[in-house]
Amino acid sequence: MRVSGLSLSAEVPELLRGSVTEGRAAIEQPDSRRWLLYLAIILGGAGLFGAALGSWRAPVQALYTAIKLPLILLVISLGNGLLNAMLAPLLGINIGLRQSLLAVLMSFTIAAAILGAFSPLLYFLIWNTPPLVAGASTNTGAHSLVLLCETAMIAFAGIAANVRLLQLLRELSGSASAAKKVLFAWLAGNLLLGSQLAWVMRPFVGSPGLPVQFLREHPFEGSFYEAIFRAVRNLLFP
Amino acid sequence: MLNPPSGSRPLGEDPQDRESIRGPISAIESILRHPRRVLYQLRQPGAGHLIIALLLIAIVCSVVYGVVVGTFSGGTQLWAAPVKIAAGLVISAVICLPSLYIFSCLSGTQARLIEVVGMIAGLLALMTVLLIGFAPVAWVFSQSTESLAAMGALHLTFWCIATYFGVRFLSEGFAHLSGKPAGLRVWVTIFLLVMIQMSTALRPIVGKADTILPVEKKFFLKHWFEQLDKA
Repeated sequence: MRVSGLSLSAEVPELLRGSVTEGRAAIEQPDSRRWLLYLAIILGGAGLFGAALGSWRAPVQALYTAIKLPLILLVISLGNGLLNAMLAPLLGINIGLRQSLLAVLMSFTIAAAILGAFSPLLYFLIWNTPPLVAGASTNTGAHSLVLLCETAMIAFAGIAANVRLLQLLRELSGSASAAKKVLFAWLAGNLLLGSQLAWVMRPFVGSPGLPVQFLREHPFEGSFYEAIFRAVRNLLFP
Repeated sequence: MLNPPSGSRPLGEDPQDRESIRGPISAIESILRHPRRVLYQLRQPGAGHLIIALLLIAIVCSVVYGVVVGTFSGGTQLWAAPVKIAAGLVISAVICLPSLYIFSCLSGTQARLIEVVGMIAGLLALMTVLLIGFAPVAWVFSQSTESLAAMGALHLTFWCIATYFGVRFLSEGFAHLSGKPAGLRVWVTIFLLVMIQMSTALRPIVGKADTILPVEKKFFLKHWFEQLDKA
């Protein structure tokens, strides 16, 4: 893929290598073409991973999840953009709204690129697993393996992206301690909003007992944290 | 790009401190990115305009956040919650202002009353601007959950984070006035208690009730435990 002089094959390795000077230049002298390319990587990478995730249930679910996964990343960036821009200077890194938004988007681009690279692996794994449809024979071991692999892939992409973001923040601030504080604050905010958005936009994999849907019938009913609280309560006090 | 440790240099030594603050937008940017500039300008003649701008920011931002709080219950709360939050914040500050001035005088700092007013206005402005940053998250949760206790806890968490940064600004301000007043920590505790009690005195802010203001007087801890029991 090529966006007016910028190529995917050149930009993605540069991002993954974590060239801080490139990263700094990208957010301090923003080039709209580069950001279009990053947007394309988020849509493509997270979309492909989403498609693989949803394909376990049904082809239509694959399409839905391919749309929803990148959408969540973009909504988190925009939804927390203002808060992140306020927290950065308060915690020691004097960057503005545009720069903080771009830094977060850059880290999501890295995560999406990694997820995109893992999507053929995930698809292959799912292809080898009994289908997730009503009436199909259940193989708990295989299902657990798929879930574990999905989680490991997402965790790896998230960790790699945040390590690169930390390096960039350290370069911007000149202080390891300020960079850690800002990263922690951004992560906490993104986790809070991201988990709830993921809850609202469920299902991603789908359930054999429920129809394939873009959103559940009452997407805004309940919250991720209430579900966790109920699960813990049921576990401790059955 | 790293913010220098506050209190390391006298205010005004850095040319950035002396840049004028024109209007609310400039005041928001300064309080977030150059708090020293706000503190320096508060010590200059004509600081009244800046104080008014800071108070306006605090009122507008608390009204906007209040609308988000009101979306949980809807109806009357869409206007009642913003009014109560803005009024509660300003009334709490007015109630606590004299004690802060007294504490600062007793500890020998050279703060004038207008500087103390300015620092409280800065505290409120920074708090409420940060609350605006949390507003999208708060809105998503207020549309998703029906649990009054969960929403109350979430708003309280956001308020605590915002207050932490506001108090840090105030503390920095006093650090430049020949040392922090001895009673600053005590005053901060009082201020927090007043604001929390104000939220109980003006209840309901998140949930609904038959009357706009409460008919029964309650201590905030009792109110919280009652709400948790209902959850």
